[in-house]
Amino acid sequence: MALSTTVSQRKQIKRKAPRGFLKRVFKRQKPQLRLEKSGDLLVHLSCLLFVHRLAEESRTNACENKCGVINKEHVLAAAKSFVE
Amino acid sequence: MADHDPDSDSTPRTLLRRVLDTADPRTPRRPRSARAGAQRRALLETASSRRSSSQTKMTTRRHSHGARSISRSAYVQASGHLKEQTPRTLLKNILLTAPESSILMPKSVVKPVPAPQVVQPSRRESSLGSLELQLPELEPPTTLAPGLLAPGRRKQRLRLSMFQQGVPDFPLCLLPLTSSLNLTFATPLQPQSVQRPGLARRPPARRAVDVGAFLQDLRDTSLAPPNIVLEDTQPFSQPTVGCSPRVYRSPPCMPHTGAEDTELAAGCKKRSSGPGMQTNSPEKPAQFLAGEAEEVDAFALDFLSTSSGVSGEDGVEPLQDGVEEAEKRMEEEGVSVSEMEATGAQGPSRAEEPEGHTEVTEAEESQGTAEAKGPGASSGDEDASDRAARPELVSSTPESLQARRHHQFLEPDPPPGAAVLSSEPAEPLLVRRPPRPGTTGPRPQQDPHKAGLSHYVKFFSFYAKMPMERKALEMVEKCLDKYFQHLCDDLEVFAAHAGRKTVKPEDVELLMRRQGLVTDQVSLHVLVERYLPLEYRQLLIPCASSGNSVFPAQ
Repeated sequence: MALSTTVSQRKQIKRKAPRGFLKRVFKRQKPQLRLEKSGDLLVHLSCLLFVHRLAEESRTNACENKCGVINKEHVLAAAKSFVE
Repeated sequence: MADHDPDSDSTPRTLLRRVLDTADPRTPRRPRSARAGAQRRALLETASSRRSSSQTKMTTRRHSHGARSISRSAYVQASGHLKEQTPRTLLKNILLTAPESSILMPKSVVKPVPAPQVVQPSRRESSLGSLELQLPELEPPTTLAPGLLAPGRRKQRLRLSMFQQGVPDFPLCLLPLTSSLNLTFATPLQPQSVQRPGLARRPPARRAVDVGAFLQDLRDTSLAPPNIVLEDTQPFSQPTVGCSPRVYRSPPCMPHTGAEDTELAAGCKKRSSGPGMQTNSPEKPAQFLAGEAEEVDAFALDFLSTSSGVSGEDGVEPLQDGVEEAEKRMEEEGVSVSEMEATGAQGPSRAEEPEGHTEVTEAEESQGTAEAKGPGASSGDEDASDRAARPELVSSTPESLQARRHHQFLEPDPPPGAAVLSSEPAEPLLVRRPPRPGTTGPRPQQDPHKAGLSHYVKFFSFYAKMPMERKALEMVEKCLDKYFQHLCDDLEVFAAHAGRKTVKPEDVELLMRRQGLVTDQVSLHVLVERYLPLEYRQLLIPCASSGNSVFPAQ
C-alpha cells in the first residue's frame, strides 16, 4: 500500500516547511506559472541551504571583525558574496 | 573484610568451618531461602558445567547446612579457588569480602547462591574485575554475596542493598549480578536465565536503586504534586511562573528567536514583562502613567506587592527586552487579531501590565494582552513622551505599523472613556471582531509574508549560533525576499526552457545545481536526507515498497 501523500494530522513535524507561504509567494511573483506538488519542498530546501550559507558567512565575517554580535554589515557583506 | 585466609587450607571443609564461625545473625527466611537456594543451586548446577569437584562437594555440604551455610559454602568455595586465580576464584573472593549487612533488607535472605560458581565464567570475570575495585569498601558478607550472585531469583529483594551502597558506580553490565541487583526494586529479570544462561539477555545497564531514597522520593512526590505551570491560562497569577520565562527569555533577548512558539513567547513575555513592568512603573511614573495615573498606579502597586521579589533584580532589562521583542514580534506576527494584539501589547505595554493584571479574570491570554494593550496604548498615545519613547526603544519597528496598531486600539478606547475598566469590555469586543477594514489594508498582505520569512530568519539565527542585532535580522529578511524573487525568476526561465508552464522538481534541482549545492558528489537526495524531516523525504525520494509499487509514483 503506497504511503499517503499528506502527513497525518497527528504527526508533529518539527521544522515544518511553510508550504502555503511558499506557494503564495510563488503565485504572487509568477501568477502565470504553476508549481508542482513536491516542488515547494525543494524550494524550501534551497531556502534552508541559502540561509545556512548566509549564516555561516555572516558568522565568519563577524568573527573576523572580532565582534561578539552579528551586525547588519556582516550580513550585508555575506549577502554580497552570494550575488552571483 | 572477610575472614577468608588465602593461606589457609583450601579444602572446602576447612573453609566452611571458617565461614560457619562467622555467623550471620540475619537470616529470617532461612528455611525458605535454604529451599530456594537449594533449588536454585540445583538449577545453576545443571546449567553450569560443574566446574570443579569441590563445587559439588560444596553443594552437598550446603544443602546440609541450610541457608546460611549454603551461602557460606559459596564463600568457602570462592576462597577455595583463590589460589587458582581464575575469574571464578576472583569473583568468589569478592563475594567473600562483600559487605554482609544491608540496611535495607530485613529479609536479606541468604538466597544461598547455588554454585556461586557462577553461571557464566566470562561474566563473572568482568564482574569480578569490577567488584574487586569495590573490595575495600565492602564489608565481609556472608549471606549477601551468594545472594547477589544468584541469578534469576525474584525473591531477592534487597540483597543488593549493600552493593548499592558500596558500589554506586557498579557497571551493572554483568548479567548475573545485574539480574540480582535489579531484582531489588525493579521488575525481576530473567527468571529463566538459570536454565539457559547463554540465552539470557543482559538487563539494561542501570544504576541499582537505593531503596531508601526511592521510597523517600515516592513519598515526597506523592505529597507534593508537580507544580504544573499553566502558561496560557494564568498569565499573572504566579510570580514563579514569571520567573522561569524571564530566565529563558533574557538570554535570547538579542536574538528574538529564542522563543520558537510565538504564543508561548508572547505569553511568557507578557508575564515577564508584567512583573518587570511594575518595578519600572514607579521608576518612570511620569512617562508611563501620565495618562491614567491613578489606575495604573494602583495596578502597579498591586503588581509590586504580588511579584516584587520576582522582578526586582532585572526590572529594566526585561522591560526593554520585552518592548523590543514585542516590537519585533509586532512586525512578524501573524494576521490574527489576537496575535497582533498580543504582540502589540508587548510594545506599548508598560503601564498596561498592571491593567492586564486586572484582566486576569478574563482567563484568556490574548484577551488579557489585548485589553492590557488597549488602555496602555491609549495612555501611551495620550502621553507624547511615552509615544516617543516607544519608537526609540524599538528602532526597527516601522512606525506606521505601530501607529496603525495603536490607532486600532485607540478607537475603542475613547468611546468607553479613559477609564481602564471601561476599556476592558471594549478590548474583548475588539479582540473578537475582525480587524477594522480601514486599518487592515496592507497588513494582511505584509504580515503573513513577514511571518513566513520570520520562519527562515529563525533558522538563520539558529545556524549563526551567535547573538544578532535586530537590524541584522531585518537585513536577513530583505535578503530572503530578494532570494525568493531571484528564485522565482530562475525557475520560470528553466521551466520555459523545458517548454513547460509548470515548475517541476527537476527545475528546482537544476537551480540548486547552478547554485553549487548539488554537485556530482553531492546529489539532491543526499541534501534532502540531510536537511528535511522524514515526512518530506518520503514525499521527495521515491521509495519502493511491497507489491512492486513505488512511492511517490514516477
